[in-house]
Amino acid sequence: MPALSYDVLIIGSGASGGMAAYTLAKLGVKCLMLDAGAPIDFDHDRVPRPVYDLPYRGFGRPGRFPHITQANEFNANIWADETQNPYSYDPADPYYWVRVRRIGGKTLVWGRASWRLTDYEFKARDRDGFGDNWPLAYADLAPYYDKCERLFHVGEDPAPDSVSLARFIAAARQRGVPAIKPRRAMGRLASSLNILLPDAVATGNLTIVPNAVVRRIVADKKTGLANGADFIDRHSGRELHAAARVVVVGASCLESTRLLLNSKIANSSGVLGHYLFDQFYVKNTIQAVVPEARDGKGAGNLMGGAGYIPRFRNLETKAKDFIRGYSVDFSSGGTPDPKYFPVYGEALQKAVNTHRGTGFSATTMGSVLPRFENHVIVDPNVIDAWGIPSLRIHARYTENEFNMARDAMRTLDELSHDAGFEVLEKHEKMVPPGESIHELGTCRMGDDPKTSVLNRWNQSHDMKNLFVVDGGSFVCGGSQNPTLTILALSMRASDYLAEQLRTRNL
Amino acid sequence: MKRRRFVQSLPLLSSAPGLLGQDAPKIDFAAPDTTATPLPHFFSAPQFAALRRLSDIILPPIAGTPGALAAGAPEFLDFLISESPAPRRVLYRSGLDALNTRAIGQYGIAFTALDNSQADTLLAPLRDPWTDSRPADVFAEFLRVARADILTATVNSREWIAVVSRRNPAAGGIGAYWLPAE
Repeated sequence: MPALSYDVLIIGSGASGGMAAYTLAKLGVKCLMLDAGAPIDFDHDRVPRPVYDLPYRGFGRPGRFPHITQANEFNANIWADETQNPYSYDPADPYYWVRVRRIGGKTLVWGRASWRLTDYEFKARDRDGFGDNWPLAYADLAPYYDKCERLFHVGEDPAPDSVSLARFIAAARQRGVPAIKPRRAMGRLASSLNILLPDAVATGNLTIVPNAVVRRIVADKKTGLANGADFIDRHSGRELHAAARVVVVGASCLESTRLLLNSKIANSSGVLGHYLFDQFYVKNTIQAVVPEARDGKGAGNLMGGAGYIPRFRNLETKAKDFIRGYSVDFSSGGTPDPKYFPVYGEALQKAVNTHRGTGFSATTMGSVLPRFENHVIVDPNVIDAWGIPSLRIHARYTENEFNMARDAMRTLDELSHDAGFEVLEKHEKMVPPGESIHELGTCRMGDDPKTSVLNRWNQSHDMKNLFVVDGGSFVCGGSQNPTLTILALSMRASDYLAEQLRTRNL
Repeated sequence: MKRRRFVQSLPLLSSAPGLLGQDAPKIDFAAPDTTATPLPHFFSAPQFAALRRLSDIILPPIAGTPGALAAGAPEFLDFLISESPAPRRVLYRSGLDALNTRAIGQYGIAFTALDNSQADTLLAPLRDPWTDSRPADVFAEFLRVARADILTATVNSREWIAVVSRRNPAAGGIGAYWLPAE
């Protein structure tokens, strides 16, 4: 059997792994990609089916996804099986670890919101003294944001605002709160699966192996450098070794860190696994109705559309009880959930019919501070279906996030009333950490090898032929959804890596 | 003998592509619910009777739409809750028992025998304004959960969708179902 070796082994096929493959393969680098998930075919793997013919009438199999609230009975087979992929946490501090194990990863299901970070985030310490700055600035990443936005067809919804939406936007601006159009990746599908991987494969430089569960990255005992990875073929259970000159890890934030911890590499700093954070979500912070739309009068351009409030706190002024800030997704139209109407029987049916299409709702997404004490460790007592130790996750929100959520609730309540809406319910209760699926940190970058795992090029300080290109590398986040930044970071790191290979520095 | 078995298997292996290539005739199959009635098995008879009565109160037949009973919601929930984790099973059983206990304590008859105004007094927690916090009272939590489940089990039923899709063809309850990866 011939010895097989590639220039680069890429672990993971989602936003970060897919972008690494796309960039490297186009630059002529021979890549092998391993992904734990099965291939997916949108034409053959899904069928139209009425909800009443599903085994559980749309409820889904009870207990199948205790932590994946996004799963429903139609899409259940997309998400990582929680029995095969267990993890642990202190019951007092639950963490919802949401994973997808199919080729394309979470880009198969992402909400497509595409926002850039700015120097308010990259240089956050300079502004408020908390934590650390990133080792790069917005200007370093801007050219890659430009390329990624073109690639993913990022743009604004061209539809004009409905009357109700315009009223809310005007009310917001009256109070100095900016409100703009959402920015999203457009198209029928905006995934690594259709945008990145096909072009990479077409170069002839990318080979993809699905159903490959990586157990460890292997370090050469003589050189101390990575020489590839050991993996398990999910179908047969066979163990194999994939050899490569460079290893790029893009398995998603916590899976990548788990892999490094299990491999016992890249942690001379002792911070691998630390500084876990995400965006906190307060779903439907406000649920309101537009009164004039009741009883079917919402036709025409009164209802419909969506908007976005970018972070506005702690930019020009200073909030009294929190640092950083939050953003808001809001939308008009739709019917409020029946749970908001405290009636039943005919009265409930009447309430639902009266309010059909009258809804206005707003969801808060807040910046979470990266704290050393929020961390993950390998839990040797919890192993997955392939015998690989999983993680124990310690994550807890603090007063900064709670105060921010309270401020968001008050502000959105005021704006809704100003707009003439009737608020059915307001609240400040966050979903558990992790549920936003925007987990970040634990493998952070920095200039100092004593306090960071990666350098400014997503390259391990300890092992120069190891790169981690996903959200694990974030130093801090913002209230912005992180996928566009993950794509840009991975493209930038891959450009750098290709140049290092070309100049034989690796 | 082993070698003979191996050799005998070769033609089968080599003919596999041929089998896969055959076109099987298309046959229409029936869903079980269209041909038979469910057999509730999880709740006791008094509990199930209370669930049927509660379902009828939460979503009676209105303006041509089938109610929860015609949609088979109680029978479906008997199955669903039987498959659910223990806390859900306990919540339902204790909640249905509480409906009967409170009905007997207040009116001397089981919940299923109450008239609507009597039942309304027991269902008062459902008329409290919605809050995002979980109710402190277990009975109130049961009522909140059961109301939501009865509504979903009804509007996702074949019977309900058959009616609403006649009025609005887009309301057919059709979704893209992802097949298992394996």
